[in-house]
Amino acid sequence: MQEEPMSGQDSLRIIEEMINTAKSHFNEDGHLLLLWGWIVSFCSVTDYLVLRFAEVPWHSVVWLLTWVALGYQFWYIRNKRRRRRVRTYTDDILVAVWIAFVVALLLVTVALGNIYHAVGRDFYVFVNPIILVLYGIPTFLCGTILKFKPLVVGAIGCWILSLVTPLLPDAEQLLMPAAGMLIAWIIPGYMVRARYRQGESLRHGL
Amino acid sequence: MDFKELDPILHSQLRLAIMSLLISVKEAEFTFLKEKTSATAGNLSVQLNKLKEAGYVEIVKQFKNNYPQTICKVTPVGVDAFSAYVKALQSYLPK
Repeated sequence: MQEEPMSGQDSLRIIEEMINTAKSHFNEDGHLLLLWGWIVSFCSVTDYLVLRFAEVPWHSVVWLLTWVALGYQFWYIRNKRRRRRVRTYTDDILVAVWIAFVVALLLVTVALGNIYHAVGRDFYVFVNPIILVLYGIPTFLCGTILKFKPLVVGAIGCWILSLVTPLLPDAEQLLMPAAGMLIAWIIPGYMVRARYRQGESLRHGL
Repeated sequence: MDFKELDPILHSQLRLAIMSLLISVKEAEFTFLKEKTSATAGNLSVQLNKLKEAGYVEIVKQFKNNYPQTICKVTPVGVDAFSAYVKALQSYLPK
């Protein structure tokens, strides 16, 4: 950038150009959406298959895999923070949204545990609709913040599934989180990744 | 028409570009500013120091993975100055 005399129009052009440049810098690559989308889908389908065909009481043990994914997520976020060259206000808001979601999920899990002690196995009818409502919240917020419609559509899909789930037989209800993940995190996750890669290609002039 | 005086610190192409970028993000590395403004490292460094001396930006130098890292962010004084500059600029534009 050369230092030459500037008119008011030149100043406005620079301001607009630079603000647009900063705005177009898209940090979100969809990695965590895809990670959690696939993990939850895998756990959901495995839980269903074990319950349906093996009929063992420990069918839900596969969900322990989510703790491994959580450990990986902490490691991944730490590394990503070290690598990033710019921190936007959007990044901070998205982190807050996901922290609130994880805290809410943990608290709801505790509450569902208490319901289990009170009503026994009937508590299964509450689990998936409540979890699907929760999945929809950060997805909707992320979609709105990133101005990315597929996430908003996915969130609405999760909320519709939460209404449909109680109408299904108990075992089949276990498949609904997988369906929710497909429309809310997996498909939009691949679209976010494509958008990120497109931005990176433009940045590197490819 | 009442023309307001334009802040000489901001009325420079590179310094204005730096401030416009920093005002849009929370903080940015020196390499990010260099890439987005297409400025040379030397020139960028000089202009950043001028903004720092005016109190418009804060510069933090640290090490990341054994490599030096320079992080820049706009200060509240810088935000006010940028806002005043844009308002002054508006008085020059035809209404």
